[in-house]
Amino acid sequence: MSHEHPHEHGHAPLSDLEARALAIESLLVEKGLITSDAVDRHVYRYEHDIGPVIGARVVARAWSDPAFKDRLLADGTAAIAELGIESPDLHLEVVENQPGVHNLVVCTLCSCYPWYLLGLPPVWYKSAPYRSRAVIEPRAVLHEFGLDIPDETQVKVWDSSADLRYLVLPERPEGSEGWPEERLAALVSRDAMIGTGIVAIPEAVRP
Amino acid sequence: MSEVDREVADLKGPAAMPRRNGELVFNQPWEGRAFGMTVALRESHPFGWESFRVRLEREIAAAGPADDGTRYYERWLAAFEQLLVDEGLVSSEELANRGDEYREGVRDEVF
Amino acid sequence: MNEAHDLGGQHGHGRVVAEKNEPVFHEPWEGRVHALMNLARRAGLFNLDEMRRTIEQMPPAEYLRASYFERWLDALERLIAEKGGEPIKPSSSPTTRPPLDAHFKVGDQVRTRNANPRHHTRLARYARGKSGVVELIHGPYPLPDVRAYGKALTWQPVYTVRFRAQELWGGEGDPHDSVSIDLWEEYLE
Repeated sequence: MSHEHPHEHGHAPLSDLEARALAIESLLVEKGLITSDAVDRHVYRYEHDIGPVIGARVVARAWSDPAFKDRLLADGTAAIAELGIESPDLHLEVVENQPGVHNLVVCTLCSCYPWYLLGLPPVWYKSAPYRSRAVIEPRAVLHEFGLDIPDETQVKVWDSSADLRYLVLPERPEGSEGWPEERLAALVSRDAMIGTGIVAIPEAVRP
Repeated sequence: MSEVDREVADLKGPAAMPRRNGELVFNQPWEGRAFGMTVALRESHPFGWESFRVRLEREIAAAGPADDGTRYYERWLAAFEQLLVDEGLVSSEELANRGDEYREGVRDEVF
Repeated sequence: MNEAHDLGGQHGHGRVVAEKNEPVFHEPWEGRVHALMNLARRAGLFNLDEMRRTIEQMPPAEYLRASYFERWLDALERLIAEKGGEPIKPSSSPTTRPPLDAHFKVGDQVRTRNANPRHHTRLARYARGKSGVVELIHGPYPLPDVRAYGKALTWQPVYTVRFRAQELWGGEGDPHDSVSIDLWEEYLE
């Protein structure tokens, strides 16, 4: 069974590294040591099944489908179930960033985190500096993440002290109109869904 | 945590796989293939992960202190090629010839 | 309990440091501890509130010095020592949630109690004796103060209450900002 291999250039010449990678894969497949499907599986798993990609898909859907977004904001648990995502015993509350409102999620008492959407939390989220400062000086914390919030914007901090988990729905970046969901999801970072980042179109991608 | 996840976790310090915001980063598709191939081979032909890791660390160290990590998968590819040759799975001649065929565009990328 | 875990509003912990290329687990043992804790909990050896309570019982100086998974490992050891001899209650026994009977409604002004119990609680110190507004209502959920000691479940509504930053921190708070906290009904008056 033939296997088409993705690479950047269409029919343009391959780079040296692309050629070497293809050489190895084709030789190993010929010698019966691996299958290309197995390679796909491993790449796919890390790119699609693990970590913040799940949350990113939820965000991309909300941006693309206003009715879904309304359902997501009204009942997060039920809405993500539509996408086949389970929230074990923990109700999901989705909080929306808007012009004039920036949301930030923390768990001051331990490390509660919507792991079923974002994977395991980073060490900084569970650390004493973040847990202590996010509630008392959120703007200073955001500044350390490279985010400067305008004075008139309201910063809303959510301390996950009970059985609810919070996901920030970041603002959709300008210039992404008409983009397919998969392309939108690739823009969304874990930090943007915690509130320590925002979503922007990278320089290299802008027309 | 699968065997693969453990092995990924085993790569530390300068040998740690590049991540952004908690996710593995493959800047080019071939980088993902290089990763996928290495772990796929582990499943079918259990070479010691340690031996790959050591080669990877050596490649990274050889690149010198100015190496900023942007060519991480180049080092990975080199380490993997060495491992294949050392394990007797592929010869360096085969690798060179096949690579030339792809570079020259005489071989079909679909296989 | 007024111990080291109750970090909200503390000073002196420094910058938030985000590690470059941070792996999911820094050492294989962390992954194993993570798995063991979750498996033991799902098997019914202890519940989530008991787990948190046990982590919190680490002496404050040790708590602050330890890494996240060092705390988990320590707690796991103490939980096994505490629970090891008991028969395991199957965690799959269905718990029917009673109907929600909320005394407060969205928009109500509420005040948190100034309670300083020695037992496990989810009312953080920085939020005690403060006035806020009910934003959302959920549940009911079992009260952790009771469930952390393996006692029969006490179901109560949980309210997301919004506090103005200046209500919590005085002049240090930004006039535009707020902190919303999820609180069981008995934490409020």
